[in-house]
Amino acid sequence: MLRPERNVGFLRLLATAVLGMLAVAACNSTTPSTTTTSNVIKLGILSDCLGDFGSFFNDDLGGALAVLAAHYGGKASGPLPKDGMTGAVIGGKQINIVGFGCSDSTASKAIEETRRLVEQLGADIMIGPLSGDEGIAVANYAKTNQPNKTFLNGISGAQDATLKVQAPNFFRFNPDGAQWSSGLGAYAYNKLGWRTAAVIGDDYAFPYTSLAGFIAEFCAIGGNVTQRIWPPLGTTDYSSFVAQIPSNVDGLFVGVGGAGLITFLKQYQQVNGPLNTKKIMGNTFWPDPQLLHAIGTPMVGAVAASGIAADDNSAQTTAYKNELAIYPATQKDAASVFTLGYWSAMTALGLALTAVNGDISGNQKALQAQLAKTVVDGPYGKISLDANRQAVFDNWIVQITPPPAGGGDPGIHTILRIPNVDQTFGGFFSATTPAPDRSNPTCTKKTPPPWVGNEVPVTFGT
Amino acid sequence: MIAGPGPRSRSTRIPQWVALGVLALFLAGAPSVVDSFTLSQILTKALWLGIAAASLIFLSSYGGMISLGQTGIYAVAGFTMANLVHAEGGKNLGWDPVAATAAGIVVATAFGLLCGAIASRSYGIYFLMITLAISVIVFYFFAQVTTLSGYGGIRSVTPPSVIGNPVLNPLPLYYTSLVASILVYMGIRYLARTPFGLALQGIRDDPARMQALGYNVALHRALAFGVGAFIASIAGILSVWYTTQVSPGGVNVSQTINILIIAVVGGLYRLEGAWIGALVFSLIDNYSRVWMPNVGDWLGPERFETIIGVIFLVIVLASPGGLVGIWESVWARRNRAMRGPMEGSGTAVDVADEAVEPHAV
Repeated sequence: MLRPERNVGFLRLLATAVLGMLAVAACNSTTPSTTTTSNVIKLGILSDCLGDFGSFFNDDLGGALAVLAAHYGGKASGPLPKDGMTGAVIGGKQINIVGFGCSDSTASKAIEETRRLVEQLGADIMIGPLSGDEGIAVANYAKTNQPNKTFLNGISGAQDATLKVQAPNFFRFNPDGAQWSSGLGAYAYNKLGWRTAAVIGDDYAFPYTSLAGFIAEFCAIGGNVTQRIWPPLGTTDYSSFVAQIPSNVDGLFVGVGGAGLITFLKQYQQVNGPLNTKKIMGNTFWPDPQLLHAIGTPMVGAVAASGIAADDNSAQTTAYKNELAIYPATQKDAASVFTLGYWSAMTALGLALTAVNGDISGNQKALQAQLAKTVVDGPYGKISLDANRQAVFDNWIVQITPPPAGGGDPGIHTILRIPNVDQTFGGFFSATTPAPDRSNPTCTKKTPPPWVGNEVPVTFGT
Repeated sequence: MIAGPGPRSRSTRIPQWVALGVLALFLAGAPSVVDSFTLSQILTKALWLGIAAASLIFLSSYGGMISLGQTGIYAVAGFTMANLVHAEGGKNLGWDPVAATAAGIVVATAFGLLCGAIASRSYGIYFLMITLAISVIVFYFFAQVTTLSGYGGIRSVTPPSVIGNPVLNPLPLYYTSLVASILVYMGIRYLARTPFGLALQGIRDDPARMQALGYNVALHRALAFGVGAFIASIAGILSVWYTTQVSPGGVNVSQTINILIIAVVGGLYRLEGAWIGALVFSLIDNYSRVWMPNVGDWLGPERFETIIGVIFLVIVLASPGGLVGIWESVWARRNRAMRGPMEGSGTAVDVADEAVEPHAV
């Protein structure tokens, strides 16, 4: 008697073949042409929508897209930045946003997403990424694999991305982590009287750089950093790290960032009681509106540094905030460095593209030359580029103020302007010095950076 | 009446070879059909992810061990190799990339054998937790030991000259991954038919009985874990060549779960499921992030985890055998309908086939 055979093996293989062919057919049918028509410039924007910095995704995109809406006729496709934007024209060229990259603060995903935007969707120009290691990876990719495309950093701040990699087509119109900390070492030494300090920061490139700025300046003047503590990025329980903070130091500099900072500060208070704001200070993450909302009044009086003078009410700052009005949630977070970083990149790109009449022919060399000399008149001062295409800017020392009567979140009072902060700290950092890491830079007394002693007292909003 | 082996061989092997031929033609010809991005970011990625998932499916289907340690093991291979060759970060010892590759595989396999020796006496949830701990330990080890990596990882890892720059020319890496996948597939199929493989399947089904028969159950399970580690280490090496870098962020718990998802979506008890699951995963990973102005952002960039999670749930609820299982159950129903009520199951062919086929649950 005959019966059908069990052809499972055959069927499995056939199913694999059919699925594979269908997949390839799908890939090909949806893969757009990567050729650029002369009238269109394809733009990709990369940020993090997952991971520790995922919550800033819309603020990042909003900073960039608001520029297109305000100056170049962009029409928002929906209420949120991630809904996209169409209709922008710069230098006579239509700006076609091919997509938003969604990374997760890891270098590998940042590269995958950059490749998707550049190689699959055909982006001519990229803005992004967000975090430190991602920036180094993207700068390397730009230099090695895409020399004929232009990359503008989003808000990643690892020193190496520009100081060491030096990709000729990677432009960073935001400061690196060390620059953001400029002025704090001198403030701690001269105003708060610290002579010894401990530092704590997440164990990856951006906090290394951020704390390096404090350490370089504090030690150059004569201070001593006695302990450096590095919780892994993504730590959710900081209690063991809080316990490691020595009690015999004059102060603690905090470089924990992202979602971890709120947890860290809460656990720090659980162990040490209310924050003594004369003995603790923070880096650029501290004046962030989300943090001020979460921690509230215990932070009042603390000093931090930021590329943002949130209380500045000059016409330039007002204009910046008005630009963001197209996205109300982003406008509310106007004082976020994430928003400002993406805004600065798109502003620079708009200026440079306008100057070259949208010409991206000739491997974009004209555009890149123009970008290198573009000066962004930002809301908090001018931003120019150095020879490594890294921002030179004015940093701001801010103090956290009590919430307004009747409730609300603490505010920001800017007290000092640190002028013309460059990446090298007046020669402290160079392409040949060890990259900032757990033990570098070493704590040595040197000639202080040029801005020490030249800080400019300021008062806004009075 | 019992069907003899002759007719089965003729009637199944010929179409099987035809199917293999079609698949081989498609895979070999893919580079001329698809653009270089798809070749690299979809197909090559699916191939190396498939190898990683195959190492899990091998352990699960033939050994009854669902391991969450495969990511940790392939990370050991990747980091070892990356430290030995010229690269930015890490030891940068400047070894020949081929020698470093061999060293990476050897170290990861030895590490796998060690882990296997530790975990081999555990079953079920305890085995799962021990292997998860392996992946987590490896992640934190390389994130914390900055001389070997640090959180930033090792960049610009030099691949063998035959691979070249996989971004500029993805062809060599694609074919390398393809050949590796075929060898892994055939190797596992072969191993399943050896006395070791048969004993392993016996241990999978009833360890106590195999112990009573005189088999060293723990040793077999530890050795199987070593074989799984060897397969995973191949994926680890390919993943480093693929991204040209390796960092703890790429081998974290999330990636551990991804490998499990790939295996479950493809079919945890069918070897082919590894690559089918990996292909589906790569396609969703890439295309779920595509922003479509005309559709809106309901499939927007940050929806990837939701989409893959929903698919995972649907597969677990509707077809524990994964995508391959769906196909098989449809075919089995059709067969039952054709056989009629007189045909029972459990013929000699079926029994013989089950002895070398993965355990379908």
